[in-house]
Amino acid sequence: MNESVEIVGSFADEQACAHCIEKLRELRALAVRVFSPIPSHHIEHAIGKPKSTVRAFVLSGGILGILTALALTIGTSWEWNLVVGGKPIVSWPPFIIIMFELMILFGGISAVLSFLFNARVPAFEIEKGYSSRFSEDRFGIVVRCAEGESARVESILKDAGAEEVVREAA
Amino acid sequence: MAAAVQDSTTPTFRDVDRGVLRVMEMPGLLYWIWVAFCFSLVGIAAALWTRQIYSGLGVTGLRQPVMWATYITDFVFWVGIAHSGTLISAILFLFRTRWRTAVYRAAETMTLFAVATAGLFPLVHLGRVWNAYWLLPYPNERFLQPNFRSPLVWDAFAVSTYLTISALFLFMGLIPDVANAREQATGWRKTFYSILSMGWQGTDEQWRHYSMAYLLLAGLATPLVLSVHSVVSWDFAMAQLPGWHSTIFAPYFVAGAIFSGVAMVITLLVPMRKWLHIEDLLTPWHFDNLAKVVLLTSLIVSYSYATETFMTWYSGDKIEQMTFHMRYFGPWGWMFWVMVACNCVIPLLLFSPRIRVNLTALWIISIFVNIGMWFERFVIIAGSLAVNFNPSQWGSYTPSITEIMITVGSFAWFLGLFSLFARFLPIVSMTELKEGIAWLRKALRKDYAKAA
Repeated sequence: MNESVEIVGSFADEQACAHCIEKLRELRALAVRVFSPIPSHHIEHAIGKPKSTVRAFVLSGGILGILTALALTIGTSWEWNLVVGGKPIVSWPPFIIIMFELMILFGGISAVLSFLFNARVPAFEIEKGYSSRFSEDRFGIVVRCAEGESARVESILKDAGAEEVVREAA
Repeated sequence: MAAAVQDSTTPTFRDVDRGVLRVMEMPGLLYWIWVAFCFSLVGIAAALWTRQIYSGLGVTGLRQPVMWATYITDFVFWVGIAHSGTLISAILFLFRTRWRTAVYRAAETMTLFAVATAGLFPLVHLGRVWNAYWLLPYPNERFLQPNFRSPLVWDAFAVSTYLTISALFLFMGLIPDVANAREQATGWRKTFYSILSMGWQGTDEQWRHYSMAYLLLAGLATPLVLSVHSVVSWDFAMAQLPGWHSTIFAPYFVAGAIFSGVAMVITLLVPMRKWLHIEDLLTPWHFDNLAKVVLLTSLIVSYSYATETFMTWYSGDKIEQMTFHMRYFGPWGWMFWVMVACNCVIPLLLFSPRIRVNLTALWIISIFVNIGMWFERFVIIAGSLAVNFNPSQWGSYTPSITEIMITVGSFAWFLGLFSLFARFLPIVSMTELKEGIAWLRKALRKDYAKAA
């Protein structure tokens, strides 16, 4: 049986790292994860994953905020239905301000919660292949492949400019 | 610094880390004396507030008709200060403005602590602070609910939303930086940063969701920042008092808030840059851009003063005209002219590119702006109340020692919290500086380096 291994390539340059990911994709080698000290559009583009679902959560949160504000302002006005300054009990214009504020509040909280949920944070385990330098100044690519293909993957990583290539058991 | 300027390949990611993480090493005795001094002043203010709660608002200088004065001025001042943080961190983020990267964390931290300070003043201003929760809509046996047509309730919602979103925005930005600090820390700091970074490792999945969440948070914070000070301005503009009842208050207050906030960022950053030895990260290029924002908003504020005066004359409203006459030439007229000098005249010096990169001059100008903007709020709030519709009701106001010391305490509280943050958490965003490192290199290479 051909056992799989994980090969970790470490890059000093963001562009070289992105270029390497593209090459790996062309060869259908699986880059299981990429570590980066900064958010990188080049790397994100090279990986080619779809846009984050956080957007849907924020939209839902915003709509929920508006509905909550509607319920709150109209509900409490009906409950304490005192006419102030001859204005109607349900006065729309001032209620829009509360709707706006709660839309932002709920949308913002949804953004953070959905980020935590989708990105699996808090993470209690260290991902395989992680090195402290990937939080500092190096970009890392972890490739999973069959033992027999490892030499080819290692050479791709080195050719693309990897400073260091390490092999780990999958 | 000189080496960094000569070599175009520096600073590197490592240099950025070293520069920021060095600041987070254990501070010396002088730092702790400063923090202790700040919190002693907070202690004095807290003691005076306790006395005020026990004795009532009689210990303040508040008398009919001036029932809003120093405390509300402080509230508006601190909410205003809070605005530049979100401007720099959210609005300039959406515009991809490169110079924000070095200053945004400090501005955001300032925002959070400024809102936290501002939020105290409506409570301090309350005669019966134990009833503060009446502002919140909660089910109760008498079906009594807050009046959502009142700007004070809008304000409670706007300021608490702003505080929450600012805190979340700051927290989100901190995660990758704290993870970086975690890798190089030891002892209790490692534990502290590990908890705060929540196991962040910078994987592509984490960045994918993080970038989207951060972008959307910035998108939400942008209209929020404009709404909050608009809502604060409506606390006044919705009333029918001459001097308050003005339709230009919302944009006028927002511009004023950004003006005072950016000035406060400069006031904090100039000494911080020197004391924390981060000259390589905070270059005159950054200050030059901050100064341009101060200049632009100063011009908007000056235009607003002129428009307000013109509209008063053009309206033909005698009562309004008398209020403004008293504002310019009455017993408190000197405050108005101090405000004009600090907010409209002195900032004109910033038209000079030399002054914009002369950090001492810039720092002094920023302090004048802070003074001017405090007086602006006082002139509008207390000045308009003192001269209302009926001359027989006209009155005056002198702040008591309680109000003065609580105001001083609020500055100490703000500076103490900011100082604590600056030495224990990354006060400059390492992640964003690295992201825009090419720009930092350019900034260090250009003429600005000579000015430093």
